[in-house]
Amino acid sequence: MPVGMPEFVENPSSRCPVVLLLDTSGSMSGQPIEQLNRGLSAFLEDVQKDEQASLSVELALVKFGGSPQLINNFQTVDELQAPYLSAEGLTPMGEAINYALDLLETRKSNYKENGVQYYRPWVFLITDGAPNNDSPWQMAADRVKQAETEKRLLFFTVAVEGANMEILKQIAPSNRPPVWLNGLDFRSMFLWLSASMKQVSGQKVGEAVELPPVSGWAQIDT
Amino acid sequence: MSWTVINYSAIGTKHQEQGLPCQDYSNYRHYDDVVIGAVADGAGSAKHSDVGAKLAVETTLSFLSGTEQFQKDPGFAQWSKKPKKVDKPPPNQVIRQLATDLCKKVLTALTEEAENMDCQPEDFNCTLLVVIATSTWFAGIQIGDGFIVVRSEDQNPELVFKPDKGEFANETTFVTSEDVESQLQVKVLPPQKFICVASDGLEAVAIRFSDWMAFPPFFQPLEECLEEETSQEEKEAYLQTFLESERLNQRTGDDKTVLLCLNTS
Repeated sequence: MPVGMPEFVENPSSRCPVVLLLDTSGSMSGQPIEQLNRGLSAFLEDVQKDEQASLSVELALVKFGGSPQLINNFQTVDELQAPYLSAEGLTPMGEAINYALDLLETRKSNYKENGVQYYRPWVFLITDGAPNNDSPWQMAADRVKQAETEKRLLFFTVAVEGANMEILKQIAPSNRPPVWLNGLDFRSMFLWLSASMKQVSGQKVGEAVELPPVSGWAQIDT
Repeated sequence: MSWTVINYSAIGTKHQEQGLPCQDYSNYRHYDDVVIGAVADGAGSAKHSDVGAKLAVETTLSFLSGTEQFQKDPGFAQWSKKPKKVDKPPPNQVIRQLATDLCKKVLTALTEEAENMDCQPEDFNCTLLVVIATSTWFAGIQIGDGFIVVRSEDQNPELVFKPDKGEFANETTFVTSEDVESQLQVKVLPPQKFICVASDGLEAVAIRFSDWMAFPPFFQPLEECLEEETSQEEKEAYLQTFLESERLNQRTGDDKTVLLCLNTS
């Protein structure tokens, strides 16, 4: 047949934004922060094994020990190196959540301006403590709940031994209550996150994601 | 014959790997001056969405050509029974009402089939794209994602509706969605020379997402294929070759369906 074949337009690949909101306050020092660092490296390594995921998952790292601090702005995992986190300071949890939610909104505006399709963002809060007394955590909790209700993001809360579960329950959306991390098994938790990200980024439009079970690393607080 | 029409569905490589059937379906009816075409894309998450897609398309075609609606309304020709010229474009409201009735028909058909098969209507989740083309007007109906691109004489191809994706890349509306009536998109346009209806598997290669522009080098060869003085079989073979090409499969693992119409009068 004399006709040529259709040519293709180049669109950027769909992105899957993830914010890791990491408690690096003083109480995390010693074994907890060491295990967190190792878990984070394992996470990046594992996502990088999957080409599609490493080009789709955009990771932002925010730590809060003393004040919320952006260690890494949204970047695809293929070009990310694991940072080394150290623990110090107090726990401005409310400020950190607000910071993460603002960061996400900015990123989403960027996507929209550039015609980049994106999946529902994930925010992953990991903490071993309770917000500072003066931290605006109730306001942050309201924002989280509203965003979840409007299905604008998925908010996961992971409590490390020593965390104030009563407060975390008030922060976490009711449909996704906080879970206790098994001991300091950050590695299993991050490998679960990696597996979940691979599923989300490889998924077909319109498809519901079936996440792997969290039983390997988490205990549901009853 | 004033229209040349071809269609084809190719299974996605991911579906093949997972042992899933092709969940896209398309078909059309051609009556002298009028073409009615429909494309449905079954949701990967729904158990029997291949059945749903086929049932949605066939119900649509039999409803729209069954003339129930058109017998009531003298503004329409009785297309399937006594083809005649359809001169004036119908008002948007009429097509919206038609689309709303169509949704109910489709939902009823899916609900009945769900009872037969002992499953839920949601197991048939699919999107639905419908075109009604005459030599004097065009109407498009869209539920969920995928796209309808049209080109009128001396114009570039244009997207009829912005793809309905919700905010996120993995969201869409289905014919079984509760809010389907508020989500359905309807448009009546002047007559069109060329029409391309496609499932969402082709969105990323045919539509530029930054400004929702239909990419002319994608559509031009498809239109040329219809213009060629070749047999219907040869045209269909061309479409099949394209939709099953390695080059396309590298860009999408999803099912891919195209329905093409060219006004040749």
